[in-house]
Order: sequence, then structure tokens, then C-alpha cells
Amino acid sequence: MAASARKVTAMFVSKIPWTVSSKELREHFGKFGKVRMCRLPFDKETGFHKGFCWIQFNKEEELVKTLQEKHMLEGRKINVQRNIGNSFETEKGNYHD
Amino acid sequence: MPFHSARANMAALLRSARLLRISPSGLRHITGTNRTGSTPCLFYSGTPSRTRNGVLSRFIGPALRNGPSSAVWTSPVGCGRSYAVAADEREDASSALLSQQFDLSLTRLDTSVRKTGRITKTLLLSIFHDICKTGYPSGNLALLLLRSCGSLLPEVPLDQRTALAHQVWEKLQGLGVKFDVSHYNALLKVYLQNEFQFSPSDFLDKMGEANVQPNRVTYQRLIAAYCQTGDMEGASTILGFMKTKDLPITEAVFNSLVTGHSRAGDIEGAKNILSVMRTAGLEPSPDTYVSLLSAYAEHGDLDSLKTTMAEAESADCEFTHRDMAQVIHSMVRAGHQQHVPHLVEHFKSSHGSLPDTMNLCLSLVTQGHHDTSFHILKTFCTQADDTLRRDSILLSSLFLKHCVNVDLPLTTIQGYCQELGDTGMHTSALTFALSCALEAKKTDVSMEMMKLMKEQDLPIRPHYFCPLLVQTLKDKNVAGMVEVLKKMQDLGLSPDADMLYTFILPLFPNRNAARKALMDTGVLGDCKAILAVDVPSMAMNNLAELYDLLSDPSSPPVNHNTFRAGLIQGFRGSDDVESMVKLTELIYRDDRFTRPNSDPAETTSYFLYNFFERMTEEEVHQNKDKLRKYLKMLRAQNINIPTNIYRGIKTLLEKYHVPELTKDVMALVDQQEAAAALTDPKVLEQKLVQLKAANKPFGRTLYRTIVVLCEEENLQQALQLKQQHEDQMTAEIYSVLIRACSRHDDHLEVALKLKKEIDQKDPSMVLEASAYLSLVRVLSKDGRVEGALDVLTEMKQKEVVLNKTHSSLFHTLNSLVTKGEAPVIQQLLDTIVTLGLAKPSSSLCAPLVTVYLNRKDLSGALDMAMQCQERYQVFPRVHDVLVGLIENGEKELLQKAIEFATERRGEMNALYDLLFAFLDAGQYKEARKIVETPGLRAKSSRLQWFAEKCIVNNKVEALEQMVDMTSKLFECDRDEMFSYLLRLYGKSNNWEKAEGVWLKMQEDTVIPRERTLRLLADILKANGQEVPFEVPETWYEERSTAEHLKAEPTRSSVEDEAQTKMKQEFSEDTAKFQAHLLSLCRKGKAKEAFEILKQRSGETLSSSCYDQLICGLLSKGKYEDAMEVKDIASSHIPDFSLTNVSNSLLIVTLSKKDLVEDALDLLRSMVQMDMEPSQLSISSLVQAQGRRGDLAAIQEVESLMGSSGINMTFVNNKAMAHTKNGDLDSAVDLLESVCTSPDSNPRLYTAFQRILDVGDDKALDKLSVLTERLANHFSCYRPITDLFVLLLDQGRVDEATFMLNRCPALAEQKDWMFSNITSKALNRGKPTTILHLLNLIPDFTDEEKEKLFTYLMKYHVLEKDLSSAKSVFEQMKAEKVTVNELTLKRLASLYTEAGETPPFTEPPMSYRFYADKLKDKSSSIVELTTEE
Repeated sequence: MAASARKVTAMFVSKIPWTVSSKELREHFGKFGKVRMCRLPFDKETGFHKGFCWIQFNKEEELVKTLQEKHMLEGRKINVQRNIGNSFETEKGNYHD
Repeated sequence: MPFHSARANMAALLRSARLLRISPSGLRHITGTNRTGSTPCLFYSGTPSRTRNGVLSRFIGPALRNGPSSAVWTSPVGCGRSYAVAADEREDASSALLSQQFDLSLTRLDTSVRKTGRITKTLLLSIFHDICKTGYPSGNLALLLLRSCGSLLPEVPLDQRTALAHQVWEKLQGLGVKFDVSHYNALLKVYLQNEFQFSPSDFLDKMGEANVQPNRVTYQRLIAAYCQTGDMEGASTILGFMKTKDLPITEAVFNSLVTGHSRAGDIEGAKNILSVMRTAGLEPSPDTYVSLLSAYAEHGDLDSLKTTMAEAESADCEFTHRDMAQVIHSMVRAGHQQHVPHLVEHFKSSHGSLPDTMNLCLSLVTQGHHDTSFHILKTFCTQADDTLRRDSILLSSLFLKHCVNVDLPLTTIQGYCQELGDTGMHTSALTFALSCALEAKKTDVSMEMMKLMKEQDLPIRPHYFCPLLVQTLKDKNVAGMVEVLKKMQDLGLSPDADMLYTFILPLFPNRNAARKALMDTGVLGDCKAILAVDVPSMAMNNLAELYDLLSDPSSPPVNHNTFRAGLIQGFRGSDDVESMVKLTELIYRDDRFTRPNSDPAETTSYFLYNFFERMTEEEVHQNKDKLRKYLKMLRAQNINIPTNIYRGIKTLLEKYHVPELTKDVMALVDQQEAAAALTDPKVLEQKLVQLKAANKPFGRTLYRTIVVLCEEENLQQALQLKQQHEDQMTAEIYSVLIRACSRHDDHLEVALKLKKEIDQKDPSMVLEASAYLSLVRVLSKDGRVEGALDVLTEMKQKEVVLNKTHSSLFHTLNSLVTKGEAPVIQQLLDTIVTLGLAKPSSSLCAPLVTVYLNRKDLSGALDMAMQCQERYQVFPRVHDVLVGLIENGEKELLQKAIEFATERRGEMNALYDLLFAFLDAGQYKEARKIVETPGLRAKSSRLQWFAEKCIVNNKVEALEQMVDMTSKLFECDRDEMFSYLLRLYGKSNNWEKAEGVWLKMQEDTVIPRERTLRLLADILKANGQEVPFEVPETWYEERSTAEHLKAEPTRSSVEDEAQTKMKQEFSEDTAKFQAHLLSLCRKGKAKEAFEILKQRSGETLSSSCYDQLICGLLSKGKYEDAMEVKDIASSHIPDFSLTNVSNSLLIVTLSKKDLVEDALDLLRSMVQMDMEPSQLSISSLVQAQGRRGDLAAIQEVESLMGSSGINMTFVNNKAMAHTKNGDLDSAVDLLESVCTSPDSNPRLYTAFQRILDVGDDKALDKLSVLTERLANHFSCYRPITDLFVLLLDQGRVDEATFMLNRCPALAEQKDWMFSNITSKALNRGKPTTILHLLNLIPDFTDEEKEKLFTYLMKYHVLEKDLSSAKSVFEQMKAEKVTVNELTLKRLASLYTEAGETPPFTEPPMSYRFYADKLKDKSSSIVELTTEE
């Protein structure tokens, strides 16, 4: 089920300020639905996260609602878009899914 | 060296310069000051002159074809200029590849310079290493690198830049780059920019050694180098040398001399150079002035500086930002920063000036002049308008970053941050500075900054510390890491999950080691985290230990999501089923392992799904026994999973070809549905009293009670309860009450009173949307539109949320239709739209049109619909309007409507509108013409819309017609169309028609989707029919095989090596090929797919692909082809085996071919493999065996299937086999034993039919005796009734009559008779059966007669047999049988269709209405509601 369900319930979030962590992202997107998964990859060289993450909701409606909104975090606009491709999949294999 | 002599030498040299003018060297010397003219370009080409776009691009052109941004290289302080030179001078011999690499590198550097006025050392080094890696750096790349080691690196101290240049030089030389003069010149330029002290003569010697001839540029730069140190003697020597070589003296030389004189302390001499130039016929350029201005700046002579500037400006010399930056730079370098503010005024903030400003600011910081730099920065920012806001922030950011990097004291940085924040130039300066410190891994400063931030109440988060752990991770430095964690602890933070997993755990060989190390230090603080750290590794290594740990009630809660992956891994690898079960049960029952508010049972179910999902097919096969045991034990522990999860797992298991595990999973499905909600108001009221007595909260119960009372229309009691519990009233309860009151117009006042009460009690109370809308409805109905509008406004004010479809709004408006007041509806709709409560949609606007439609005012309706299109861009009820127009023959209006629709909604939409209208109006010929319009393509959403409409309204013919006429429609999804038909037939339980669809699909070679098969199976099952195929089940929604397939090869699973390997082997091309095959199979073109496969039979496809192809071929009866595919599959996949479905299909095929032994063999092996053969395969096989009379074989199948209880398939066919073998007695005994076994009331119709098919009169005799005995001795009447009806069906009326005479009680078995008739709804010969029944059985009650006649009439109507229908009608009248309205309606439709007027009034209401009416009258008559 993973691939298709993720396609409709997952999104790619970018331009995330470095000060924001998964916790804040979960809190923010939690307003739109139950965040089933939040994957915020970190760069092992710099120690900062990479500024993007994947968020997965339980329901497609929640995703659709989220995508319709503009999102600000720490005063900065962040980008949300449907998860395209299967980056979700390829970067699988750690503990947050 | 004496000052004068230098000067004298100079004059001599300058004369030679003048000579140059007439020298025939081919270089034309232009004296004009027009520096942008084309000719000076040529002249200046070899000099480090002011480059302008046109010039530079010309020279860089050859090396940088279409280089997008070469112009930018002009911007940094006095450096980019020489790229042009270099490009011009060097030989271009680079290959295409190298030039590509050059382009790329240049673009990278260029982007950086354009944005930020500089290159970072990191970027430069990264490009440098990239270039070195390729092994063969081209000459121009080498040049590019060297050039970048100067002032483009403002953040790097001067000496380091030079060192870097040397490093690049040596490295490239080592890589075999052959340096030419351009490289030496480039190096010289870098020396100049870096103020590097070197010996020019040594430099020349080196060039000599390398056998590189210095050129004019070399000499000019050497002069500049001497001048930089004020060594005029050295400069003169070179000048003299140039003269002897007859090299032209250019403006650049003069500029250098200005600097030289100044540096030598001779400011007057410097100034004098300008007049010397003029005498030599050269007008001083801005560069000359800049040299002079810099000279004044270095002397701190502000006045002269200003005078000179004014002088230059009056000479039309304009200074660029970069010029000013250079002057300021010189000024600060000489220690005269106090004058900077005077010069900074001349800075104009603009986007173009940003790079220079940045470069200057950064240089100044590098050289220790950070305060001056900050001043310049502030000036830029305060001057900047809003458009430069981002530039300002960028500038401040880079400044701060550099301040951090050069290790300015924290207090200084803090001061800058403060000021930037206060002036609004940078909103989060300190946080940004922290990120810089972290990036630079400056632990101490970072810590100090964070403390500072904490004091300022800025958030500090655990992940801020991650950068500080990068190095400790690399070095595996546990102590260092603990050190950082301790510092975190000091700030009151403990690591978060990201940090743990990415930066802490990888330090340790395993989690246990991590746990031990960290437990001792106590830095993790949070036990939860420790456990989370530990659990995954434990899960992977020792499940029993994990269970011990987790089951300890004192262990803290931990979300099993954090260790799920580990747990799955552990489950996969472990044989400790007991612990697996225990752990599953633990997370199933204990909510410590689930996120708050989620159900552990549900998440555990998902865990099970994931567990199966993560396993590979191979793995599941290997561990079948283990899994079985596990599942069985779960069952024993009463662990239940929801149905949807079961389906998901089942789908997986089928994909893995292990359906035998399905049974065990199914056993886990929770059979007990949730307890039904309490619905008895009495019980509720009692509970209420109890709760109150016990002083417990009773709000929910009160609510529930009032809801139930309102549902039962016991409003009085509900209101009474409300009065008793005024203090408990909530918006929810008020909403319920208002809704209830609004249901009745006469309760309007009560509703309004309630509303008023709320307004007084708590004006902020927000009711449910439906309550407001019910108020709107009753108020509008009562003519109190103003009140209704007020309510709408209130809804808006209180931000009442309406559901997305606005169906409640629609119903509100629609309820006003009956009153026929379009203006009221319009008014409400306008308000709704204006307030923004809802966006206008066609359903929302529909009531407006409905008003007119109800009045049969088609013209008005059309006008209104068109108005809606104009106003709201929706075209409501267009379908009904069009149907009306067609039915009334309003050709002109129809034309108008279609033209309008074409224009506004496009031709395609208009065609569909018209198509559906014709279909609905029964004008199928016209409809067909529309479908045949060239270019029309299937729009599935539109087709779906009409199909759904037909299904809802039981429009059988319209739908059948549509499905039929769209068979050739481009892109029409046939399976979809047939599924609509099935749904419609399913509604009326018309299983014969449904079965007809199945046949039709086979005929049209449409392969049904699983969903379609399920629909068909449901219909057949519901009508007591055997399902002639395997019923598939799917998970959630349809997933097409193609998607499935696509997902499969890309699915990545890190731990799964086998799959990765397969993925690699599975080339994209094969995937495409396979998808193509599957799509052919789905389209019913299995044969075609087979042909293609044969051509590429060398490729290995997935086993499911082979399987589906085999399936497709078998369903076409292509047995031999299917077997060939099987052979191909087996040649690629050694252990290839068919799935359940294909095997079942194979059995069916073999049985039909009468290869009964083979079929039985296959069945045996399926059973051995724990597969479940489909019902159809069993019945086909058993039937074939029965036909042969092979009783033993049937018995073997029966025992193989191990069915419990009585399976009529076996009984029927065994009876048939007996009969076939001439052993009627045994057949009869068998049937008797079936009938007399307890709790059975079997339907023997089929069995009798089979026996009579192969037997003779003797058989009938035996059966008569049997059934009569059963009836007389055992009061078992069903068999005799079955036989009786069978005889009538077969037209053997005499035999039936005898039977009836012998057993008069038969006449009482009307229920069985009806059941026989209804279940065979459309069987041929049935009307005669009914007639016979009516004749033979005298005492049908009127009601029963009505039923029978209704069937009869329905039959004739369906057969479109008007004359028979008429005679039935006559007979009914003669026999005084009530002709119910449904029958009348049907009959009327038959008359109308035949163009006759019915001799009675057609009942006005819909079929559904009368059907419902009949249903109410007699629940046993449900079956009558078929069709309409």
C-alpha cells in the first residue's frame, strides 16, 4: 500500500528555517490533520537539517486542505507541494516512518 | 633612490609613449576620452583597464560560448577585469568536454559573485578539487582558479589568498598544466590584489626558467608591483626595459605611476601624472582619478579628495560604486577611517551596488575594520528602500557570518545583532549569528550565544546542537559528544529523536553500547529516549529480553512507532514465536506503546500489516509455518484486527502467492461489531436519573435522550427535559431542539423562542450549521425572508462552518421550491454568495430553476439557468431543462439552449448534455447520432454522472442504451460501463440480467476489474445462485495492476537484498513490456499479449505477469496457449506456480474439456499446496464427474474440500451420477438423507432438474414418491413444491396435477412457490407457470393473486408484449384482482411506448413511490420493486 497511499497523503515541504525541527513541523501541520509521519533529513556533514521534509497525513482531505493554505513558520514562508516521485521511498530505512 | 632622477627617467619614458602614436605597430592610439567607444577597446585590450560589458564579452567569448553572465565578472573590486586579458592571450585548445567543465565552473563562481560580491574559499576549493579530480585541467580552468585567489576572496586574509594561489599553482603544475604567460600575468594580478611582497626580478627569472616570454602586461604589472611599494626606481627600470623593447605605454602604466608617486610620498608628483598624460595625448580616465583619489585617501587629505572628485565630475568622469569602494578601502587601510562617513554619502544603495558593498564590508572585517564595515553596512541598509530589503538582510547576514568566522568577541557581535534588530534591518540576527557559529562548529561561541538567546527568551531547540556533534561523530569521540550533551543539559535540553538517530547512535557499534555509555553519563535525561534508543536493537537481537523490558509496568511509555522497524526486523529474523505473540499482545493491549488518543488495537493491526508488507515473497514462503503458528497463537490470545486490515494483508498474501495463510489472518477479524447505540428513550431516561442520583456527569446522556426523543417526534418530552436541565443546555442540544421544531411548520414559534433564548443567554453561542439552516428554511417558508437573511448573516459572523458540498444549503433552498417563490430563493442565494457562506454551484442554484420546471415553464427554466451561467458560471439543471424541451418538442428553445451551452461550456460538454437528455427522454436514435459525432471522446466523469442518475432512478433502458451505444466510443472504459449496469441490476436483484452482463463482457472481450466481479458475485449470491468464478477481494480502493507493477520495481527496501537484486535485474524496458502485456490482458486481448510474449519469450517477467496472462488466455478458452505460457514461465522461474485464481480457472477449463482426471489431479495438488479452489472450479469439476456418473470422484472432491455440513453442489451431482449409473434408489436415498437431516431445508429444484435431465419416467416416479413421503411423513414440503414447480416449468402440467391431487397440502405451500417464481425471475416458460398455478390452485387469496398477476404483468412489460399484457389486465379485471398502481404504471408505460393511450389514468407518481407503497403494504412483496 505504501506507494499509492503516500502519494495521496504525503507532501514535500521545503524552505524550512534551520531553527525548526520535526517537533515544530508536527505541531504546525498537526493543525490540518493527524501527522502520521514527518521525515526531516539531517546533513551529516553540516549537522543542520536539509531544509526540507516529508509530511504524511492519514487522509487525503487533510493533505488537500494543507496544500491550499499558505504556511509560515518562524516568520518565514515555507513551501508545500504534493510529494512527487518516490524520494519518500528511497530515503526510507530510518526510524521515523 | 633619489626622487628627482626617477622623475627625469619618467619624462624620457613618456616621450617614447608619445612616439607610440605614430608608430606603425598596428595599434591605433585614440586620444579621445570616450572610453566606451569601440576603438579604445582594441587599444586597451591588453591592459587591465576598465572593462565594460562589450569589451569583456568579446574576449571571454571564445572560451565561454554563450556564457550567460560573464558581465558580472566586471563587478568585484578591480579584479574581474583581467579575465578578458587572459582569455585573449592564451591559446584556446580545450576540448568540448573541458570547455563544458569551464562553463560549469565559471557559472558557479559567477553566480556567487553576482549575488554576494565574492567567492567563498569553500566554493573555490570545491571547484578546485572537482577540477583536479578529472585529472586534466585545461589551461583556461587553471586561469580561472588563479584569478579567483585575489580580491574575490574578501573573507580570506591577504596572505592566505596568496598562499592559496600558490597552492593552486603548484597543484596544477603537478597535474601537468602547462602555464603560459597568461597564467604568470594572472598570478601577478593576484599578487597585486593581495599586496604580496615579491621580487619582480625573481619572478622574471622564473618565467625565464620556464621558458615563458613576458609580455607587455607582465611589465605593466611589474611596474604596478613596484609602484605599490612606492619603489619608483624599480618602476623606472621596467619602464626603461619596455621602452627598449618598444612596448607601448598605456594608461594603466600612468595609473600605476599615480599610485607609485603617492606611495613614495610624492602626492604632488602623483597629481602631476595627470598633466603628463594629457601632454602625452592621453586624457585621464576615471581609473586614473580613482588612483589619485586613493592617493589622497591614503594621505587622509579629505579636502583634496573632494576637490579632485568635483574636478573629475566636471570632466564628465563618473565614479561607480566600485570606484568609491576602492577609495574607501584605501582610506581605511591607511588608517583614516574617520573620514569614511564623508565618502559613504556617495554610496548609492541599489541592487547593482550590493556585490561591491559586500566585498568591501567583508574585506574590511577581514582586515580588522569591522566597525567601519558595520557603518558602511548600516548606511547601505538605511538608504535601501523596500525593494532592497532582501539585499539588506543578505548583506547583514553575510557580515554577521564573517564576524563570527573571524572570531570577533561575542560582545561585539551581540552589539551588532542588537543594533540590526533594533533598526529592523535583520529580524533574527542573533539566531542567525548562532547558525553561523554552529556552521563553523565553534562550540564555545555557540554555547555562549545560546545562553544569550535564552536570556532573551529566544527559543533554543535540541537540534541546534547537532552541528556540534558532527565532528565527534566523525572522530567517534564519545567523550566529546557527552561534553556537548552536558552543555545541552545545562541549557535544560535533552536530545530529540533526530539527534539521537543521526548524530549519537552511529557513534556506537550497537544500541546497547550506546545505552550503557549514555546511561552512565546521565546526559540523556529523558528515560523515554533511552528506551527508544534501546528498543530497536533489542528487538532485532532478543525478543524475549525486549518483552521482559517492555512488559515491566514501571518502564516508561514509548511509542512503538519508534521501534516498529526494529521490531519488524526482529520478528522477521526470530524463531521465537512465543515472544512475538507476547510482544504483539503487549502493544495490542497496552496503550503505553501508542500515541495518546490512538487505539492500540488499531495501530497493532497496522503493525501486522507492515510486518507482512516488509517481508519478501520468498521470506513468507520460507517462514510459512512460523507465521501460521504466530497467527494461530494471536487468535488464541483473542487479538482482533479490523476488516480493512485483514483485506490488506490478504492482498499481500495473494501477491506473495501464499493465500493459505489468509485463513489464519481472517480468524483474527473481529466478529463482534460495536454495540448498537442506545436508542430507547426510556432506557436513556432511566440512565439519566441514575446518573443524576449518583451525582455523576450526565451531559452526554441528556443529549442522547433529547436526540432520541426528537427523533421519535416526542418534542414535548424533549422540551420538558430541557426545562428541567436548563443549566445543562449546550449549543449541541439547542441545535437538536431547533432542528426538531423546524421540521414542523407549526412549531416555528417554538424554534424562534429557543433561538431568542440563546441570544439572551449567551449571544456568542454557536449552533450547529444545520440548526441555523433549518431556521432559515422555516422562516423563508413562513414568508419571513428578512429573518432568514438575518440568520444567514449571523452564520457568517459566527463563522459557522458548512460542509464542503453545501448540501444542507441546497436542501434549505430546495425546500422552498414547492412554494414556488423564485425571488425568495434568489434573495437567499444572493445573500449566501455575497456573504461567502458558499460558492455558487450548480446544485445550489438548482432550486431556482426547479421552481420553473415544476410549473412546467420550460422557457422560464431555461432563462433562469442561463442567468445562473451569466451570474455564477454554473448551468443548473441543464439536463432536466433539456429533457423537458425534448419531450415537449420545443425545438427552438432546444436550439437556443444548445447554442448557449456550446458557447459557454464548450462543444464537448454541450454534446454530452444533449446526449443525456435524449437518452433520458427515450430518444435513443438521436442519442446514438450524438455518440457518433466525430471527435467525441469518452469523458468518464460525465458518463458516470448519467449512469449514477440511471441507477438512482432505475432507468434501466436508458442505461442499457447508453452502455450499448458507447461501445465504440473513443477511450470509453467498458468495464466501468458494465459495472454501472451491474449496479443497477443489483439494485433490483435481477441476477439473470447481471449474468447476461458477464456473458456480454466475455463476448466483448472485456476483462472485468475485481470490483466488477465482486458486484456480480454479490448479486448472484443474494439470489441464491452459484458464483461461477473466484471472488476477489481488495484492499481499500482499486489499484490497477499497472500501478502495482510500476510500484514494484521501484520499491526500495534497504534491508532487502534479494529485492534490490531483482530490482536491478528488472530493467525499465522489461517493466514497460510487462505493463503493456498486462494492459492487453486487462483489455481482454490476452491472445495478442500471448503473441507478443512469444516474440520476447527470452525475457524474464514477474510471475504475476505470467499468471495474469495465463488467466486471460484460460478465460478465453485458450487452453493450449495458456499451457505454453506456463512453460515459458517455468523456464525462467524454476518454481513458478499458478495462483489460486489461475489454477481454479484451469480446473474449470479442464472440466469443460472433459479432462476430468487432469482437473482432479490439479485440484489435489492445489489442496496440497493449501490453496483454495474457487467455488466455480469445484462445481464445474463435480458437474463433469456427475455427467460421467463418476461417483467415487465426486466423493473424493468432497473429501478433499472437507466441507462441513451439506453442500448442495455435491448432493446435486451425486444424485445425478447415481441416476446416470441407473442407480435411482441411491439417488433418492441421498436426497432423502439430505432432507431429513436436522436443520436442513434444502432446495432440490436443481437436483431434481439434473435427475430428470438424465433419467426417465421412472426417475420422476421415484422422485414423486420421495417428495410425497417427505411431505406426508416428515412435513417437509419444500421438496415436493420444488418438484411441482419444476414440472410446471417444464410444461408437464398433467404430472403436476396428479401430484397436487395426491398431495393437496401442496396447495398450501404458496411461500415456496413464490420463492421459486421470484428466484427465477425471468425464466422462460414462467408466465405459463404462473398461469398454471392460477389454474391449478383454486384458493389463492386476492392478495396472492395480485402478487402473481403483478409478476405476470411485469414479465410481459419486460418482454414488451403489449397484447399479452392487455389480456392479463383483462383477466385481472375479470377476476376482480386489485390492479396496484405499480402494475398500472408499468402497463401505462407499455402502452405509451407502443404509441397507444392507456385506457386508464396513468398513476402520476414515480415507480419508486408506488414500489415503496407496496413494500409498506406487504413486506413479502419486496421482490416486486424490481426494474423501475
